[in-house]
Amino acid sequence: MTSGVRTDRATAVTANALGGGEVVFLASSSPSAWTARFEDAAIFDSDVAAEAALSAAAASDFKVVDAYLIALDNSAGVWTPLSLRERIRALGPTTEPQLGPQARGGRVVEALQAADSAARSSGRIRLIRRR
Amino acid sequence: MLILSEDGGVRAVEDRFTVLGDEEGAGRARPVILSRARFEADAERLWSEGFELGVRLAADDKVEDLAYDLPRLAVVALEFPKFRDGRAFTSAVLLRQRYGFLGEVRAVGDVLLDQAFAMVRCGFSAFETRASAADWARAIGRYAVVYQTSADGRQPAFLARATKS
Amino acid sequence: MYAYDGLDRSLVRDRVDEFRDQVARRLAGSLSEEQFKPLRLMNGLYLQLHGYMLRVAIPYGVLSSAKLRALAHVARRWDRGYGHFTTRQNLQFHWVKLSETPDILAYLAEHDLHAIQTSGNCIRNTTTDPFAGAARDEADDPRVWCEVIRQWSTLHPEFSYLPRKFKIAVTASAKDRAAIKAHDIGLRLGRDAEGRLVFEVLVGGGLGRTPHIGALVKKDLPADRLLSFLTAILRVYNREGRRDNLYKARIKILVSELGLAAFAEKVEQEWAALDPTEIDILGTELARIRGQFALAKLDPRPAVSRGFEAARTREDFARFARNNIAPHKVQGYGIVTISLKGIGDTPGDCTADQMEAIADLAESYSQSEIRVTHAQNLVLPNVALDDALALFEGLRAIGLASANINLASDIIACPGLDYCALANARAIPIAQAIARRFEDPIFEEAVGELQVKISGCINACGHHHLGHIGILGVDKKGEEYYQLTLGGSGAEDAAIGAVLGPAVAAGDVADAVEALARRYLEVRQPEERFLDTVRRLGPTPFKAAVYEHADTV
Ligand code: SF4
Repeated sequence: MTSGVRTDRATAVTANALGGGEVVFLASSSPSAWTARFEDAAIFDSDVAAEAALSAAAASDFKVVDAYLIALDNSAGVWTPLSLRERIRALGPTTEPQLGPQARGGRVVEALQAADSAARSSGRIRLIRRR
Repeated sequence: MLILSEDGGVRAVEDRFTVLGDEEGAGRARPVILSRARFEADAERLWSEGFELGVRLAADDKVEDLAYDLPRLAVVALEFPKFRDGRAFTSAVLLRQRYGFLGEVRAVGDVLLDQAFAMVRCGFSAFETRASAADWARAIGRYAVVYQTSADGRQPAFLARATKS
Repeated sequence: MYAYDGLDRSLVRDRVDEFRDQVARRLAGSLSEEQFKPLRLMNGLYLQLHGYMLRVAIPYGVLSSAKLRALAHVARRWDRGYGHFTTRQNLQFHWVKLSETPDILAYLAEHDLHAIQTSGNCIRNTTTDPFAGAARDEADDPRVWCEVIRQWSTLHPEFSYLPRKFKIAVTASAKDRAAIKAHDIGLRLGRDAEGRLVFEVLVGGGLGRTPHIGALVKKDLPADRLLSFLTAILRVYNREGRRDNLYKARIKILVSELGLAAFAEKVEQEWAALDPTEIDILGTELARIRGQFALAKLDPRPAVSRGFEAARTREDFARFARNNIAPHKVQGYGIVTISLKGIGDTPGDCTADQMEAIADLAESYSQSEIRVTHAQNLVLPNVALDDALALFEGLRAIGLASANINLASDIIACPGLDYCALANARAIPIAQAIARRFEDPIFEEAVGELQVKISGCINACGHHHLGHIGILGVDKKGEEYYQLTLGGSGAEDAAIGAVLGPAVAAGDVADAVEALARRYLEVRQPEERFLDTVRRLGPTPFKAAVYEHADTV
């Protein structure tokens, strides 16, 4: 997926910290820095740019595991991870609101939670075909 | 370098054996390790010329197929294509326990330090690895107690308890 | 229960040192993640969505009060104050740090606890009947044999890098409370015509992508030949199990590809070639282990407990007694199951405070012994009926007096997408939504035994295939959908549930389950459980109940 031409799609880079395990994102503050706050994540407008930043971060003293790119969505006016899995990683378990990054609250956290419930809310039973 | 683990001692030595490729000319008699295919084609001739022979088995080769030749073999090299592939552990146990093979059982391929303990227990005695002899010795000596009998002849806990009481 | 001696302790301590060294090498960068991963997995350490998860082994689900307190301490000191009991009778901590794991394991080792072989392609923690040693209908105490297997399988040098993980379950009762037919090896202990202890050996059960019910490979295996027979099975599997495809690597695939008879033949050949004196359990060692499980003397009690009978006039306690207390083999005692499935709770979760309180209650009322069930509940196995009311009150004080064992809200759910890196969809919120539909205990008891099991992906940690109603999370273009299955069972009448119809959206699962329960009430015959009705009538009436109002998209 290249997203350079779209303004409603972007990319961030995520991983887990090696020593502590916590979810981290490449930070916007300075190259090669990682942050545990999704709101401080660097937003890349292409996967190519994100991958370049990730390679550069390999030299960082802060070691991470399993780094990968995630797609972001801006349909609510705030960048949020597109997939539910990544929103849960950015927030913490949906069943334990006092745990994980979501505990600190704030505008971005609320936007992520809203995106979450938007995906969840569905009216009556909708059917999908089985393969 | 090759790491040898014999009689409780661990040391790094120069490998006496060289690998003789399938297409290579045999040259003068010396210790060589052959692929299984070359072994089957050439072993009798090489032995008659005075070669000391080892054979390298892939993970899916069966040691049973070597039963007849084992008394004349100096080395059976068992390959770990990936360290996660544990078939060679069973091959080593069978070589030692079922066939009473007394030569060198060598671990080749993806040989991980953290498997040294299990390998020695299963009867491996030589290791093609980049790890140092000191690290290898430490890994092998990690556990003072074992629960099972295996090819290394260590006394398992249940026998230790029986002799104690 | 089994107490470690110096030899058992030495091994666990050496293991902690080894892992401390491996963690140091990983943090220093001399081990790559690829090399380290199988090593940490063999020490129960996973990397999940929010960080590292440590799975602590609870061998065959047996805990002492002291061990449970140690687990509470770990939850408080190194985690976020709670733990999650799993369908493997283990305990998971979801918030540990890699750098602190060696200290956690060292602390656990001081209490004879560890995380050895709770993951990885090795022989996992053996599971058994949570009522073992207390059940009326058992031929022998299966914990004795589980301990025999534990020692044999721990750091087994030949079987630590198998094609895939390997799970063994043991029962000694006709009533299967250990789901033995859903394990790589299921063992049923019984007595032959001469009264000797013998095993029935089932192989090739398992859930996941291709669920199988275990098939009989050996009848009347003399119990003292168990370890050599297991060695033969594992050896055939280690050599011939598929290693080219993760989804075809379990022993069930080997058995079905070879055919049961050919597989059994290979095992018999290997067994005949083994030297049993090297492997099989010594009579003296068996006696030593057996001695440790001998029931501490239970005071004789009258057949009828007056206090218990009086308390049963109270509706809440009567309900608890009906659903959560099973008969004990000693007169005047009962086996009490503690439900970790209160309405709105996360199935299997237990806080540090609750663990400590349960440890105290076990000390007062159950000889300091606690069991973990594969249904993610806890059991106090040796409770005098005279004490049952006091225990009930103690449980109520910590919010764990739900009287719902084997009822619709006693739901098995894996952690799902709230924690698990492999998940397609969440399981916990689905369980919570379903449980709320059965909040009225009169309705719930009217529905009766109904096992609902939820997995967040096809790995089936929530045993959904074995649910009377099974629920499997699937990902439909980034949205959570759930496939329903009907008619599964993990008991002696084991069966894999059949898919009911198209998957339903997250918000509609509870409706669907409630509709199934209500349809059952309409069409059942007297004395029929939900499962029996499903078996008698087939899926049609149930399908109609779920889908009659459905919009098709
Ligand atoms: S079933 Fe899937 S989602 Fe659930 S715990 Fe297992 S792997 Fe994770």
